[in-house]
Amino acid sequence: MAEHVDRRTYWIVFGTLAVLTVLEILVALPSMGVPRTPKVLALIAMALSKAGLVGLFFMHLKHEMRALKLTVALPFLFPALYAVVLIGEAGWRLIR
Amino acid sequence: MSAIATAEAGSHPVAHALPPDEYFGSATPGKIGMWIFLLSDAFSFGGLLLAYGILRGGSEVWHHPGEPPLGIPFTAFLTFLLICSSVTMVLAVAAATEGNRKQTMLFLALTALGGAGFLTGQFHEYFGLIPHHGLVHEGLIFGHSAYASTFYVITSFHGAHVFTGTVYILVTLARTAAGKTNANDVEILGLFWHFVDLIWILVFTFVYLL
Repeated sequence: MAEHVDRRTYWIVFGTLAVLTVLEILVALPSMGVPRTPKVLALIAMALSKAGLVGLFFMHLKHEMRALKLTVALPFLFPALYAVVLIGEAGWRLIR
Repeated sequence: MSAIATAEAGSHPVAHALPPDEYFGSATPGKIGMWIFLLSDAFSFGGLLLAYGILRGGSEVWHHPGEPPLGIPFTAFLTFLLICSSVTMVLAVAAATEGNRKQTMLFLALTALGGAGFLTGQFHEYFGLIPHHGLVHEGLIFGHSAYASTFYVITSFHGAHVFTGTVYILVTLARTAAGKTNANDVEILGLFWHFVDLIWILVFTFVYLL
């Protein structure tokens, strides 16, 4: 028959997501006066952490077998590379 | 019916159960198919966010005079609503795994409510539920600037996903009420819904906060 599912991890992930969202807003508010570069880096790091938490725990990727994990994760290397190269290039042309 | 099918399905049998795969374990073809669809969908969003990054990174002026800033507190509330709906969705999947149909239906209904709430919020953000509110009345016009156009394209493409997801939830809810779903169906629906939440986390950061 049906097994019992432990829900504790879900609530921990929910709490972490909520705390990270509050932190993101605090960092982003102009009145907090966070300089541009650390602000951008902190916000991207927090957003990727949150996305990772949702993928690993809510979408159960952590409990899948390695082949499925790699199928899902590895292709993201390409858009990440494009992002760094293309956005960097656009910014570089601006300041050149 | 193999042991793996019984374990996966809760109280309902999986129609086309396969033996565990050497590489993908007990992941069903439906689940792997949804993951691959989500991957391609993620690249659509990736392309949009990349175009946004290039346009913004290469522009001297992003916010033109007269264009309103985006309302962060209100959107933060929508973000939190979507995170909450992700929690109700995992609870629905957990209930389905345990074979508890009533609880599955309850949490699916709450998740659909969260999706409808998000869509209402987005409508209010664009057009205003009260007169003279909404970005279109405040001067953020599609086509007038890269800022306006990327905002509307990215957020409405996401909104279309929320709408699709909400309909998908309601269909699954109706099928669950009729006893036509198993835990695997609810899990695959969950993957789609969490993906919509995951994308919003990124959109919220890149479009609103940065």
